[in-house]
Amino acid sequence: MQRSAKTALVAAALTTAFALSGCADTSGGSGGSDDTLDIATLTKPQSLDPKVANGSALPFFQAVYDTLVKREPDGTYSPMLATEWAFDEAGTELTLTLRTGVKFQDGTAFDAEAVKANLERFKKGGGADATDLAAVTSIEVVDATHVKLVLAQPDPGLLFYLSDSAGLMASPAAFAKEEELKTKPVGTGPYRLDAAKTVVGTKWVYTRSPDYWGEKPPYGTVTMSVFDNETAIVNGLKTDQIDTALLQDVGQQVSMKSDPNVTTTDVNFDFQGILLFDRGGKVTPALGDARVRQALNHAVDRETMLSALRQGRGEVTAQVFGPETAAYDPALDTAYPHDPEKAKALLKEAGYEKGFKLRLPRVTAIVNDALAASLKSDLEKIGVELVWDAPDPAVLQKVFVNKEYSGMVMNMGLDTVDGIVLRTLVLPGTFNMFGTTDDTVKKLVGSVQAKPDAAEADLKALNEHLVEQGWYLPFYRMSYLLVSDKDVKATPQSGMAVPSIYNYSPA
Amino acid sequence: MSGTPAPRRGVPGRLLRHPLGLVSALVLGLIVLAVLLAPVLAAQGPGVSELRDSFRGPSGGHPFGFDSAGRDVLSRLLYGGRTTLGGAVLSVVVALTLGVPAGLAAGYYGRWFDGVASWVSDLIMALPAMVVLLASRAVLGSTAWVLMVVLGFLVAPAFFRLVRGIVVQVRGELYVDAARVSGLRDARIISRHVLIVVRGPIIIQIALVAGVAIGLQAGLEFLGIGSGDGAPTWGAMLNEAFQNIQRAPLLLLWPGLALGLSSGALVLLAAALRDVLEDRGGSTDRAVRRTAEAPVAPEPAAGDERAALLSVRGLAVAYTLPDGSDREVVHGVDLDVRPGEVVGLVGESGSGKTQTAFSVLGLLPEGGRVSRGSVLIEGQEVVGLSERRHRALRGDVVAYVPQEPMSNLDPAFTIGAQLVEPIRCKLGLSRKEAAARALELLRMVEIADPERAFRSYPHQISGGMAQRVLIAGAMSCEPRLLIADEPTTALDVRVQAEILALLRRLQRERDLGILLVTHNLGVVADLCDRVAVMREGRIVESGTAEQVLHAPADPYTRGLLDAVLDHVPARPAWRPRKATT
Amino acid sequence: MLTFIARRLAAGVFLLFVISLLAYLLLSIPDLDVARQLLGSGAGQAEVAAKNHELGLDRPVLAQYLDWLAHALRGDFGTSWFSGEDVTQALRNRLPVTASLMVSVTLITTVVSFLLGVWAGVRRGAVDRFVQVLGVVGYALPGFLVTLVIVLVFAVQLRWFPAIGYTGLTESASGWLSTIALPVLSLSIGSIAGVSQQVRGSVIEVLRQDYVRTLRARGLSPARIVFRHVLRNASAPALAVLGMQFVGLLGGAVLVEQIFGLPGIGSMTVSYTTRGDIPVIMALVVFTVIGVVLINLIVDILIGWLNPKARTS
Repeated sequence: MQRSAKTALVAAALTTAFALSGCADTSGGSGGSDDTLDIATLTKPQSLDPKVANGSALPFFQAVYDTLVKREPDGTYSPMLATEWAFDEAGTELTLTLRTGVKFQDGTAFDAEAVKANLERFKKGGGADATDLAAVTSIEVVDATHVKLVLAQPDPGLLFYLSDSAGLMASPAAFAKEEELKTKPVGTGPYRLDAAKTVVGTKWVYTRSPDYWGEKPPYGTVTMSVFDNETAIVNGLKTDQIDTALLQDVGQQVSMKSDPNVTTTDVNFDFQGILLFDRGGKVTPALGDARVRQALNHAVDRETMLSALRQGRGEVTAQVFGPETAAYDPALDTAYPHDPEKAKALLKEAGYEKGFKLRLPRVTAIVNDALAASLKSDLEKIGVELVWDAPDPAVLQKVFVNKEYSGMVMNMGLDTVDGIVLRTLVLPGTFNMFGTTDDTVKKLVGSVQAKPDAAEADLKALNEHLVEQGWYLPFYRMSYLLVSDKDVKATPQSGMAVPSIYNYSPA
Repeated sequence: MSGTPAPRRGVPGRLLRHPLGLVSALVLGLIVLAVLLAPVLAAQGPGVSELRDSFRGPSGGHPFGFDSAGRDVLSRLLYGGRTTLGGAVLSVVVALTLGVPAGLAAGYYGRWFDGVASWVSDLIMALPAMVVLLASRAVLGSTAWVLMVVLGFLVAPAFFRLVRGIVVQVRGELYVDAARVSGLRDARIISRHVLIVVRGPIIIQIALVAGVAIGLQAGLEFLGIGSGDGAPTWGAMLNEAFQNIQRAPLLLLWPGLALGLSSGALVLLAAALRDVLEDRGGSTDRAVRRTAEAPVAPEPAAGDERAALLSVRGLAVAYTLPDGSDREVVHGVDLDVRPGEVVGLVGESGSGKTQTAFSVLGLLPEGGRVSRGSVLIEGQEVVGLSERRHRALRGDVVAYVPQEPMSNLDPAFTIGAQLVEPIRCKLGLSRKEAAARALELLRMVEIADPERAFRSYPHQISGGMAQRVLIAGAMSCEPRLLIADEPTTALDVRVQAEILALLRRLQRERDLGILLVTHNLGVVADLCDRVAVMREGRIVESGTAEQVLHAPADPYTRGLLDAVLDHVPARPAWRPRKATT
Repeated sequence: MLTFIARRLAAGVFLLFVISLLAYLLLSIPDLDVARQLLGSGAGQAEVAAKNHELGLDRPVLAQYLDWLAHALRGDFGTSWFSGEDVTQALRNRLPVTASLMVSVTLITTVVSFLLGVWAGVRRGAVDRFVQVLGVVGYALPGFLVTLVIVLVFAVQLRWFPAIGYTGLTESASGWLSTIALPVLSLSIGSIAGVSQQVRGSVIEVLRQDYVRTLRARGLSPARIVFRHVLRNASAPALAVLGMQFVGLLGGAVLVEQIFGLPGIGSMTVSYTTRGDIPVIMALVVFTVIGVVLINLIVDILIGWLNPKARTS
């Protein structure tokens, strides 16, 4: 009996081993094939209806839909569906000249009516980026190949938006069947969605569009696979099952950097820091005093944070304007050296010698254990008690609508256009929900908006003023790592964390 | 069944003598102690963070180094243990308070409450845990404690089902009925009789559930729905270490070790507790080995004449105790059974008569062995005989009729299948021939409807019929010697008489030798030619039935006789069945 | 037998209704603010309100549930709020992945656990110690650690198996086998640890039964007694544990599917639940409960087959 049990066990083990090893190498994945590009990402689109396009999900749309303007990797604009564009003197009218002879994948012609229909739909569509077109009051069809966008006030970000989600053009014929558009996109783009091979939610498969109006797309097939974590992505990269991906986690970055079989490029897209919304002191009275905000800025040890939390991968900073903007001043990056004594002195001056309590919401995806603990202990050293509120799914509601918090740790994309930084971070709005401002800000913003083409000095002055006033508490600009297989060349994209779909080519 | 020697110590004492029990209790004890002494042992508070120190290796006062936030790993481990282990205790307490009383009530009273409670238990088990956890976090807050209370709620059905199952089984047992008849209140019955039976399995389950709770907490933390209040837990530490696995893989070690050791120790403790509560010696394996290794040379046959069928001389049986020492329970028994003779082996429970009978069969329980003496069956020495050759004697030379008819039939097979099996194996008959022979056997033991009995399962027949079936089974391969161990004790008086009559008939018709093990002198008077009286492992008196019964020489035999005359029902003490967990 | 199955199924359907209602109510408790999650932080109050209306979240919870139920009864589980997936289609895509895992793990667990458990229970001694230690180690090791090591060794280092992804059985049998091999291995270790202990315990338990001695007294061979009688009687409790293990595997699948990037329902569970994607979660709940009910039914039928006494009571 012992014998039979033992033999059976061994037999079972052997069978399993044979069955498994016999087929191990059949599944190398399509990563090796030259004609296929396998992109891995953590972000998935809500649907493929262009009205909901935004952020890192943009490549899913770019494959099928062309934008009006193309944004090159370095951030310059070049023709795409619009071949020319021109603002009027006042900057409140933009006229676009459209490419002729382009047809949507369903055969509908691309023309001015299509542009009007798309832009109007996007503006009213309720997508996350819908407010990008807030300044556009009307869209006029001049003729079949010319469209005029009329603005309420000049918007320096408009071209950026038209090269981004707002500029995606879908066939107006498809708007009648909105539900279908979500899974059956119809654009003029370089690829078409292969609905049969696509598994919505996990894997999107695109094939080269045979009748693309532009240059022949470099890949016959592009797949975009969505994963829940970077561990799986890194394993896929190491085993050649994935061609390219952007890694945010610094540990995963380091493990890929040492891998000789891949090419890596640093991408500096996000900065991390506390946005101190409550400069009026409505929730936390102490924050109403600029000296307190300066004290907080002096209290955090940016250098140590960068080296400990991001393994030195990034650059410390105290400003929210990125290096691509006109307002950027390298000197401001080190405006607040780590100086607890000075911070304490500032607090004392402001009358908060005994400190105060600062309550911040915690989003675990952004504020990991180490960041939470280090901020808490840095502030503790100047007598400020930092209380982290437990993660809460409704945190956005509480922060942005109920205005319950005086600040929040965020990873913010570094916008490349000064005007967009102004709109999102400085002027009253989403990230300035308390609507704080002061005379200097008003004056400088006014003059910037009056003469957008010659605003560099004013922008620099504004940036310096904001840093000096401690409106924000930025820590550092973070480096992400764009990893690609040796046979894929991937170029980082200005204004986006992930490369545009056009930025990949066989190496 | 009688007389398996077991040293009666308290559960804790026996647990500490169990090697696995000792080690696991020690490990757990140390962990708990360290965690309780956290404020003394820890170098600093669990939240003290110095980012400059992040990922720094071990140094003076910080033997495990620092984590990603520059916190002392040892301090976090110690303080984290409070939340983790405390949470596990909380889960268990919640699960116990909900599950055990409900299980007791449902099992004991049954009816509607049982229906409702069982349904609710099924419902809880089918509830999607993730959804429940998320909802409770929203309502109650996302601290580790809330998590563990909810977990306790979710695992309560494990206790409920366990307790209910045992109680249902126990409720039907005679002793509770008896307690009912004698007018004990329900509360008293539950506390006196029922709780004692469920105690063991509950303790084991506690250890297992605590282990599960510890593991689950870590898992939830890993999935990002753990405690959100920043309290240090081993799960949170493990998760934090996992996030930095590329940079400092060693950080995984300590919380992983703490978790693994704790839950591992709990499982081992549960296993040891099970062994201890069920009297399974921890050292049975040693004993088994010794049985195999140490066949005792039979002593040279004594000068007297030895019976042709069964002859036992100087038989001693010893058990190996958990501590490795031996205890002899039978000390040199002499016994003879001639062909066609019925010999009674009489004595009280624990006198060694059953041990003697099992020695002949070669079926001593775990840990027992024949330590000396000689047993001849049809002239063949069986002491020291290999198991395989001894087995060859069983069934067709020497057969066995047990005491409890119901527990000696395999509940999973029909009567027919159980009768056919030995016939086919031992006699090599075809399926058809064997079935015919089984039916013939059933007829022989005077079963009214043999075909029906053949198709029945054990639970479908009466105790009397079961005993007939067992006799039929014993007779199936035409044995020459039948060893009947209290064959009538479990039966009511009328059936007893019938079974005795059956044995008598078989003995006469087939010239069968019978060794009848019994405490009942009435049975002896009815059936036996000769009698041996055993007491404390020795034969105190032997002779013809008439001699022993009418002129007992030993005062012990007289006492036994008096007991019969007084008609004191002599039942063995009820022993609880082991619960399956 | 048929009435037993029918009664159990009816009870299961009732259970399904109650649980779906409970789940819906529970899901409505946390203020997950789905509309704002969808619209991003920049959206205004009016847009959020409009989105809530679009999703039907401005109605009373019970009305929402009844609406969901009405659709679900017609087999329409709606569309994911966050990814626009057709939920029925998504489940059709993902269920085979998780089912492959769970069925394979259960089969392997059954075979290996019974072999190990019987071996340990019958032989005791060193073999028993070994199996017990194996059980404890398998039980005590954190599952994700085991999984990570397995990926690193067999996929990343040795390249014997793919590290991520899933190939359907219908696409390529060998591809299917190679993609699920490591996930199945990862999941099997823990469940073998649990079930083999149970089998061992039951075997020891049964070996101590009176009828085993009686069978031995009839001269049957030990192998025959173990494989015919002990195994059958020990199977019932082990099966019950195996059934529970199967249900528990869903939890384990969450982790393994994430690490191996498998597009199953496990990896779906966490992200969709934490965001409050009610159409997806409700469908998952329904299928999980159906799974649990069916597994329990199968286990009960098997136990009834193994243990005639349970059949009648």
